[in-house]
Amino acid sequence: MSTMSLEPVPGRSDEMIVNMGPQHPATHGVLRVVLGLEGERITRAVPHIGYLHRNHEKIEEARTYPMVIPYTDRMDYVSGTQNELPFVLAVEDMLGIEVPDRAKKIRTMFFELYRLASHLVWMGTAMLDLGAISPFLYTFWDREIILGIVEKTAGARMLPNYYTFGGVRRDVHPDFFKDVADFLDHMERRMVDYEHLVLESPVVHARTIGVGVLSKERAVARGVSGPVLRASGVAYDVRKAFPYDAYPDVEFEIPTSPDGDTYARFWVRFQEMYQSIRILRQLVELTPKTGPYKGKAPARIKPPAGERYRAVENSRGELGVLVVSDGTDKPYRVKHRGAAFSNLQIVPDLFEGAKFSDAIAILASLDPVFGEIDR
Amino acid sequence: MSLLQEVWQAVKAIGTGMATVHKRVYEEAPTEFYPYVKPDLPPVSVQSLALVENEDGSERCIVCLQCERACPAQVITIERHRNPEGKGFLIDRFDIDLVNCMYCAACVEACPVSSIVTIQDFEMSTYDLQTLKADVDFLHEQARRARQWYSPKFGVEVRTEDGRIEKAPPEMQPGGLAEILKPAEEVDS
Repeated sequence: MSTMSLEPVPGRSDEMIVNMGPQHPATHGVLRVVLGLEGERITRAVPHIGYLHRNHEKIEEARTYPMVIPYTDRMDYVSGTQNELPFVLAVEDMLGIEVPDRAKKIRTMFFELYRLASHLVWMGTAMLDLGAISPFLYTFWDREIILGIVEKTAGARMLPNYYTFGGVRRDVHPDFFKDVADFLDHMERRMVDYEHLVLESPVVHARTIGVGVLSKERAVARGVSGPVLRASGVAYDVRKAFPYDAYPDVEFEIPTSPDGDTYARFWVRFQEMYQSIRILRQLVELTPKTGPYKGKAPARIKPPAGERYRAVENSRGELGVLVVSDGTDKPYRVKHRGAAFSNLQIVPDLFEGAKFSDAIAILASLDPVFGEIDR
Repeated sequence: MSLLQEVWQAVKAIGTGMATVHKRVYEEAPTEFYPYVKPDLPPVSVQSLALVENEDGSERCIVCLQCERACPAQVITIERHRNPEGKGFLIDRFDIDLVNCMYCAACVEACPVSSIVTIQDFEMSTYDLQTLKADVDFLHEQARRARQWYSPKFGVEVRTEDGRIEKAPPEMQPGGLAEILKPAEEVDS
């Protein structure tokens, strides 16, 4: 039973074994961590996942290609359409489907809107973990506006099933660009408040600076990606390294921080929100108001036999998918490379030696979403 | 950092927080007084499914099984028989398991005659899940009840005089497309 619980070490009777989760409110879902505690210090940590396992990859093998798209939505449920994109890109590559320029820009706009929504959820819940309740109420208020914009076009709020092979499923609502521009004005005002409440708060400084330091080498060795990796000083972003959709057309920067502590991860996510606002501002101007939203796709999606890996930079890092086709209308294998799953691998490294209350802050800075980790 | 500085930092942080709270007090609240005030959902909002009849009360569904084939959750069950008089098929059974449905609207997109549509009726909570195993009568009733319905299938086509097939004008499109497009024309003018 050594995989499910920690064995007491002979001769160390002062160590206490404690279960954190799976129903702990600060684990952002159903993470269970078995902790060895020596007083308030964590000596050992063994994370257990799989409490939300829904057999996604196997289900997707039994569905035709268009049917897979709504299933991918249900992985990372706070960042909606971002999950659909790697699968759609991979199948488009295999079939050689041309995507109209306007469709690419609309896709990118939804992608960045969901990045803002996801980071707002992160900010609210991370502050909730540190004991502040009002930021949670404010961030969900702002996220509500994003979801309203998405619902007006896509018909659903969190699981929109909006991207399709060759573009998007339907044209945007006539008010879409105006709504986004209004929201960005609102969001820029709000970001000033959030900076004051979160980044400049001495309570947050005391809880996060120097806590859970992840070195550059360790981050690369463990295969973490996204804001967690960039907070350790590695400027890797799939949007720049392997550009997709409309990202070559827009200007943005990759914020990095050399510190690698919890505060750096908070800071990097904040800067990413500014970059998202910047990208969206450019796209509101660049995207034609009318035009094609969907390219020509065959009625029956039957990619030739072969395999293709495509990755996107979602709110948590590199979300990739490997699609293996055997020439039929159903994929032979769909393997998702989850960003939150890979980021969770550093939990034992970061927890060991930390205080118990710091463990909560470290976990909040990793921003795990268990729909994607357990799949 | 001296004690005095720390105290000042704490006071400043509390002041910032209180100032933010004070600012929000006078903003319009984002909450809604449901169930006293119903939310104003956009027409495309996918909340439930309905099966539309023609205006004269006849069946619009041609039982082509496209929705059954397109459904990712495989909750649609259709049985049919050949129409003894005339052509086409008649419905024996048209069931949608709304419990396991994931409201992706793939069936709506697949429907060639826009018979199956999404509606905005979201008040489906029940103590008995069996009431959500919708049959054809329930789905027709849903469509009658829906105050406004819409289908993302824009593609109803008409044959023009010279024989070409073109997209039908918005008035002929099912699903209130004319109403959807109305704001666009207002913006242009």
